[in-house]
Amino acid sequence: MSNTNKKTKKVKAFPIVNAIIFILISLIILLPLWKVLVDSLDAAPGYGMRLWPNNLSINGYKLIVTRTALYRPFLISCLVTVVGCVMGLLLSTLGAYVLIQWNMPGRNLFAYMLLFTMIFNGGMIPTYLVMNQLKLLNTLWAVLLPLSINVYNLVLMRNFFEGIPQSLFEAAEIDGCSPIGIFIKIVLPLSKAALASIGLMFAVTFWNDYTNFKLYVTKNSLYNFQMKLRSLIMDSDVPQNNDKVSDNTIQNAAIIVAIIPFMIIYPICQDYFVQGVNVGAVKE
Amino acid sequence: MATCKVCGSELPKKAKSCPQCGVKVYQPPKNIRVLAIVGAVLAIIGGLLPFVQNSDIKVKAKDCFSFMSYLNNDKYEFTYHQYLWYFFMLALVATCIIVAAKKEIYSIITTVIAVVIYGITMKDLSTFMADPQYVLGVGTYVVVIGLIVAIAGCFLDILKFKKTIEYDTRYMKNHKPFASRVYVHRWFYLMMVPVLIFVLLFNYWPMLGIRYAFTDYIKLPVYAGLKHFVKMATKDTYFWLAFKNTLTLSIIKLFLNTFMAVVISLLLHEITNIHFKKTVQTIIYLPHFLSWVVVAAIFRMLLSTGESGIVNQILISMNVIEEPVFWMGETSTWRPVFYIINIWKDTGWGTILFLATLSGISPELYEAAQIDGANRWNRMCYITLPALANTIITVFILNLAKVMNLFESVFVLMNDAVIEVSSVIQTYIYMQSFGGGIPNYGYTTAVGLFKSLVGCVLVLACDYASKKVRGRGIV
Repeated sequence: MSNTNKKTKKVKAFPIVNAIIFILISLIILLPLWKVLVDSLDAAPGYGMRLWPNNLSINGYKLIVTRTALYRPFLISCLVTVVGCVMGLLLSTLGAYVLIQWNMPGRNLFAYMLLFTMIFNGGMIPTYLVMNQLKLLNTLWAVLLPLSINVYNLVLMRNFFEGIPQSLFEAAEIDGCSPIGIFIKIVLPLSKAALASIGLMFAVTFWNDYTNFKLYVTKNSLYNFQMKLRSLIMDSDVPQNNDKVSDNTIQNAAIIVAIIPFMIIYPICQDYFVQGVNVGAVKE
Repeated sequence: MATCKVCGSELPKKAKSCPQCGVKVYQPPKNIRVLAIVGAVLAIIGGLLPFVQNSDIKVKAKDCFSFMSYLNNDKYEFTYHQYLWYFFMLALVATCIIVAAKKEIYSIITTVIAVVIYGITMKDLSTFMADPQYVLGVGTYVVVIGLIVAIAGCFLDILKFKKTIEYDTRYMKNHKPFASRVYVHRWFYLMMVPVLIFVLLFNYWPMLGIRYAFTDYIKLPVYAGLKHFVKMATKDTYFWLAFKNTLTLSIIKLFLNTFMAVVISLLLHEITNIHFKKTVQTIIYLPHFLSWVVVAAIFRMLLSTGESGIVNQILISMNVIEEPVFWMGETSTWRPVFYIINIWKDTGWGTILFLATLSGISPELYEAAQIDGANRWNRMCYITLPALANTIITVFILNLAKVMNLFESVFVLMNDAVIEVSSVIQTYIYMQSFGGGIPNYGYTTAVGLFKSLVGCVLVLACDYASKKVRGRGIV
């Protein structure tokens, strides 16, 4: 009797323990972000254990919005993200559409060419020298162009496209639709979810890009927000101010500004992100 | 997967006749293709090797790399040789691709082009081979042997191709001829152009830059032979340190992340309340969207020794440590901190694939097990884990292929004090090239080439493993 009692108790205890574990995990993940948010809303320099702003002020954010040196990188980040996203989507949809033409002579050659770049690459320095030869150094194109051709995303897009029934293409062809017409009128409208999913991946890549900026852009006026944030944090490159805002507050506010766009977009579009990952690895 | 030419049904591997209609299937001998590729690759290697290998010769070159253009010295002007070299390499790479794409008949064209180009340079060479300053090097022999093997391979392939045609024509009546297929697809070629331009510019052009690995490139490339590779192998301890660190950091990170992701997804799968589960998922995926710069900034503040360092403050108040520890600045603590930050950032995202697999397990299995008296632990051991095993291996293989690419995460978290535990190959290349001082792009290219080759071997090995495990490659 006591034995069975124990068993039922054990089974009921597990969900509670499990829930507690996940509440703890969530706290561990959110706490650093919460701490940054709190420190960004407090004009005084942060001190360790504070988890609520003592004297609430938004001067840190005011400073970021008003200083050219701080909002210019933000605008550059936005510009690069939008333009890069469009270019990336254009290239990957075009490439993916060509890749599903199994009867096209040269299709396999093209596929091998793309796949080979996933296996082997020239490396950091030869790429840098090519950028130099193309006179792209210290322009935003140096970041936009190489990042917008992403073979992995292209193959992902092809996986999505292969889900479109072949009969649709045939029907459109019989109705006299040109391949470009099919692309615009059938393929693109049918793969809105794929476009959202891969577009978001591109957006994340472009927004978060630091490596390419670090390598190819040395001009201060062309820094994106990540670069600016890095110099804010590492070199304390904080603009002088008279608003009695501590460096720490500005740094924290800058971190929040850097993450806020995706913190807003992400919970809404979570399913698209997850779908993208699953199509990439699980679907045949 | 091959399809039957008569009834269009899919053929099983190595089938000798179609199971649907009973037509005999021609299986082309596969190994001959390898011969052509081996020959072309050999010739490529030969093209990269120095043409003249006599270290006594002081070559005053403007633009110097293997093949012949470093002969642009005061005596002999062969400026067009560097362009010939480009075409030679292009032709050989094209041969490889065409053979791999099973269009062997065309591979003979590119191989012949390569031979013709080589012949032109040999003709020029003979005009001054009388000069005793120059000696033929190993590169020449390798190129010649490679070309012979490649041509032999191509011809054998053509013989085989003929045989295939003879066999196939009986069943290819409905198959449109090549030219008309090209015409039908003309718009697709137009659509391919932008992608092709981007790939050629930003992926293939840099590959040609590999030739700088054989030069001293300070202002202009000057031929230096295998000097950099000798230096890498024998003298450069920092390079080996970086190599070891790359492997250690990324492999331990990979194990920890995969393990944590599996544990978390197993536990998450047990949660029955959908809203709670969804919320938890949203939260644990969140750090994946933060850039490494942001993550480094956040943890720099949390771990700082100053007043804002919450970790040190908590540990001091709990009497675990007495003095604030400079977590990121000490060789003993940097690696654990690196692993923890990686777990914090990417474990949640890593659970996606596992959760997708888990949700695919039929609930009937669990019910049946429950009736048989299996408790939670038994069910996990005998149902969940076996179902998950394939996905775990898949994820592991996918990530193992990326081991050599470790850069940004280390770059933003490292500092000079911990360079001996944190320097990885990519950061080493970066520091050597852009970290101040006069860079020798030749040497850093050589290091990069080593990295690319190891990465390439890893990807191919993972691809092979992936094909064995789940019947589908990763590339």
